[in-house]
Amino acid sequence: MAPDVTAIERITDAPITVEPGGIENAFAEIWRSTAGAGADESTTHLRVLNFVAVAGDEDGARRFAEVMDTLPGRQPCRGILAVANPAAGAVQASISAHCWRSATGVRHSCSEEITLRGAQERPLASAVLALLVPELPVALWLIGGVTLENGLVRELLAAADRLFIDTAAPGDVRRALRGARRACAEEGVAVVDLAWARMATWRSLVAQCFDGDDALRTLSRLQAIEITSGGAAPSSEALLFAGWLVSRLGLTIADLAPRPDGIDATLYDASRGVRLSVTASGEAGPLCEVRILTQAATFLVQQHNASGHMHVRAEWPDAPVHRTVAQRPEDDASLIGQALDESDDGSVFEDAARAALALLGDADASATGSSAAPA
Amino acid sequence: MTSETTASPNPLRSGLSMPRTPQACAVVVFGATGDLTARKLVPALYNLARGRLTPGGFSIVGFARREMTDDQFRAKMKDAVTQYSREPIQEDIWDSFARGLHYVVGSFDDTAAYTRLAERLAKQDAAHGAGGNRLYYLATPPHAYAPISQRLGEAGLSRGANGGWARLVVEKPFGRDLDSARTLDRDLRQVFRERQVFRIDHYLGKETVQNILVFRFANGIFEPIWNRRYIDNVQVSVAETVGVEGRGSYYEEAGALRDMVQNHLMQVLALVAMEPVASFRGDAVRDEKAKVFHAINAIDDIAADTVRAQYAAGAIVGEQVAGYRQEPGVPPNSMTETYAALKLEIENWRWAGVPFYLRVGKRLPKRATEVAITFNRAPLALFREMGGDNVAPNLLVLRIQPDEGISLRFGAKVPGTRSDVRPVNMDFRYGTSFSIDAPEAYERLLLDAMLGDSTLFTRWDSVEAAWNLLTPVLDAWGSGESPLQFYEAGSWGPGGADHLIQRDGREWHRM
Repeated sequence: MAPDVTAIERITDAPITVEPGGIENAFAEIWRSTAGAGADESTTHLRVLNFVAVAGDEDGARRFAEVMDTLPGRQPCRGILAVANPAAGAVQASISAHCWRSATGVRHSCSEEITLRGAQERPLASAVLALLVPELPVALWLIGGVTLENGLVRELLAAADRLFIDTAAPGDVRRALRGARRACAEEGVAVVDLAWARMATWRSLVAQCFDGDDALRTLSRLQAIEITSGGAAPSSEALLFAGWLVSRLGLTIADLAPRPDGIDATLYDASRGVRLSVTASGEAGPLCEVRILTQAATFLVQQHNASGHMHVRAEWPDAPVHRTVAQRPEDDASLIGQALDESDDGSVFEDAARAALALLGDADASATGSSAAPA
Repeated sequence: MTSETTASPNPLRSGLSMPRTPQACAVVVFGATGDLTARKLVPALYNLARGRLTPGGFSIVGFARREMTDDQFRAKMKDAVTQYSREPIQEDIWDSFARGLHYVVGSFDDTAAYTRLAERLAKQDAAHGAGGNRLYYLATPPHAYAPISQRLGEAGLSRGANGGWARLVVEKPFGRDLDSARTLDRDLRQVFRERQVFRIDHYLGKETVQNILVFRFANGIFEPIWNRRYIDNVQVSVAETVGVEGRGSYYEEAGALRDMVQNHLMQVLALVAMEPVASFRGDAVRDEKAKVFHAINAIDDIAADTVRAQYAAGAIVGEQVAGYRQEPGVPPNSMTETYAALKLEIENWRWAGVPFYLRVGKRLPKRATEVAITFNRAPLALFREMGGDNVAPNLLVLRIQPDEGISLRFGAKVPGTRSDVRPVNMDFRYGTSFSIDAPEAYERLLLDAMLGDSTLFTRWDSVEAAWNLLTPVLDAWGSGESPLQFYEAGSWGPGGADHLIQRDGREWHRM
C-alpha cells in the first residue's frame, strides 16, 4: 500500500487575515465554498491531532510552514503557530487551508493552518487554547531557541500531551539538556527531543550489532567506545548517544577529562575500565562515527556524507560483516511524524540525558548509568 | 500483532521503537530464476535490508536449474530490484546487499546439488556470520515441494547448523484437494516439524487485512455488535479486472476456488469471524481461526449454495477482451471456473443464522477486495411516511485493496423542512491518514518467517479444514452437479450468483 497522497492543493492562495474570533467561521466558509465549487463530496475533515508550535522569530515560522506542508498528510491535524512579537500589538491572525489529493485526483484529507502573532503572551495563549479541536491530543513544538521558561509556553504546557524540543538548537548544550531533563521530570508531558530522534537510526544500528548471542557476549568484554561528533564541540546528539550507551550498559562514569574538542572518560563496569572518548571532528552532521571495541570484535557505524547512507561493520577475526543501509529522514516533519506514530515512555531518553549531563560534569546529574540497569 | 520472539536480553534494545530484527541467517530460495523471486522475494528482501531490518550476517542463496554464476545471479536480481522494488535501487546499498547474494545450480531432485548447497551454506556461515540459521523458500511449482523437502532432509539441512534453526516457507496452493494436501503435509512432515513449516498466504501480509483485527479488537464500539443480533450478512468479495495474464495452463489446474477461495477468502473470513484473543502471543490467533473453520457447516446443497462460472468475451474499461477459452494455454472446451460464489454458515453462538457470502472473479468491471458487513435494519420504520422508505441498512465496508479504507453507511436527514432520509457514507481512507510507504506483504511475511513468528502464516489444521469444506464442492463441480455458467467479461458475474443471494432477499454489495 504505497502512499496514494501525492499532490498538495492550496485551498487558499495566500494566508487570509482574519479576526481571531472569526477563525472558525472563516474556515467553515472556506470549506463550504470549496465544496460548492464541485469538490469531491466525500472530502473528510479527518483530524487526529492539534499541532501547536511556538516560534520566537520568522525563521521558526518558516520551519513550521515547512512541517505543515507534509505532516498533515501523515497526521491530519489543525496546525496553530503562535509567534510572540512585541511589534504585533494585539493578537493578529491569518489562516490557510491545504488538501492532499490522491493520484487519481480525489481530495483525501485537508488541514487547517492558523498563525497567531501578538505582543502579549496571555492573550496569545488564550487564542491558541480556544482554537484547539476538542478531544484531540495536543502536540506542542518549541521551535529553535524557544525554551520552557518562555511565558507563552508556560501557558500552553497544561494543554499539551506531547512536547517537542530540540536540545541541538543553537545555544548552550548543557542548558538544553538540563531543560529536557526537567521537562521529563516535572512537566507531566511526554517529551520528545528531536536531537534524540535524529539518533534513532544510529541507536538501532548499534543495538542490532549486539543481537546475536556471540555479539551480546562481547558487551561484557567492552574495551572502548569512540564517538566522533560533527561540529566544533560535541553535539547534543553525540552526548546523548554516549549517555545512552553509558546508561543502557549500566556503566559508571569516572575519571572525566574534558578537552576543547571533546571529552575523555573512563567508565566502569564492575571493576573493569572502559575508555570513552567523544570528539568533535569539525565535519558536518551531528554524528559521524561510533566505534565500539571489545576483546573479540570491533563494531563500527559510520555515516557516509555524500549519500547519507549508513555503513555498519562488525570486524570479527574470522568473518567481518559489512552492510550499507538507508538513514531515516531527519527533517523536522519526518522526525515529528515518526515520533507521533510511536509510543515511548521516555525513560530511556531521560536516562541518556542524565548520563550525558554527567559526562559534561554536571553536578546535578547522577554519575552513574541507567536507573534501570540491565542484566 | 506479533508475538515477541527474541529472547535476547540485549540491553541496547530497551526503549527502541525499531522493528524487530532477526538473527543472522541465510535465505535459500528454490526457484531462484522464477517470476516470484524476481517480482516479489528479492525486492522484498532488498527493501528489508535497505530499511535496516535484516541482520548483519544476512545472505541469500538462489537455487535453480539454470547455469549461472554468482555474478550473473546478482546482475539478474539487480535488474529485478530495479524494476519491481517499491523503493528505487541505491547503488551503495545494493552493493552491500549483493555481496550476500549467491547461487547454486541444481535440479530440485539432484542429491549432489544439495551437497553443494550444504557446502555453500557452511562457507557462508563462515564468511557472513550467518549463524547456522536457514530459511528455505519454495518459490517453485507445488510438485517440487516434496522432493525438495526430502532432499534437504537427506543432506542434513532440515536443521540449522551449530544449533541454529531451519524453517521452510511454502507458497500456495497447498494441495489441490483434501487428499493431495494431506499427502503433501505428510511428505513435508517426514522432514520438517509443523513449527518449522510456514505456509504463506500473502493476503495475510497486507496491512489492511491485518487491520481487520485492529479494527475489531482495538476499538470498543464494534465488538459488542459484531454478532448475529446486529449483523444481517457478511460478504467477502475479490474482483479482478485481469484475466489469466498468460498463465492459462497454470489456471487450468487451479480455478477460482483453489486459487483464491481456499486460501485468501477463507483467511479473510476467519479474521472477520474469529473470537477475540487474549494476546497475540504464540498460536492464539491461529487457534481462533481454526475454530472458525471447524465451525463452518458443510455445504449440503452444493447446486444451490455455490456458483461457478467462466468469463466469455466482453469489454473491460472500454477494451474488447477475449473469453477465457480463447486465452493462450486454455483448451477451447475448458470447464475451469474463473468465478466462484458460495454461501457459508458458521454454526456457533456468535454467527448462527448469519450467511457469509463469498465471491471471487476475473474479468469483472473493477479491481477491488472488500468485506461488506450489512447490519440489521432499524426495528421500526419510523420515517416511512416522510419519504424514509429508502433507508438502507447500515453497511460497514472494509476495503482491502486497492483504495484501502473503511466506510460506514448510515441514514441522514436531507436538509429541509421534510424529514427525508438519505444514505450517506462516512469514509476513512487508509492511505490518507497514514501516507506512509507501507511495506509490501512479502516484506512483512519474510521478516516474520526469519523471526520465527508464525502468526500470519497458515497452520495445517486450518488448511485441512478449508480443504475439508471445499473438496466436496470441487468434486460436485467436477461431476457436473452445479453447471458451469458464463458471464460476459466486464460484467459483475453470472446471473446465478445474483440468484444465490437474491433468493435470501439480499443483494451483492455494489463495489
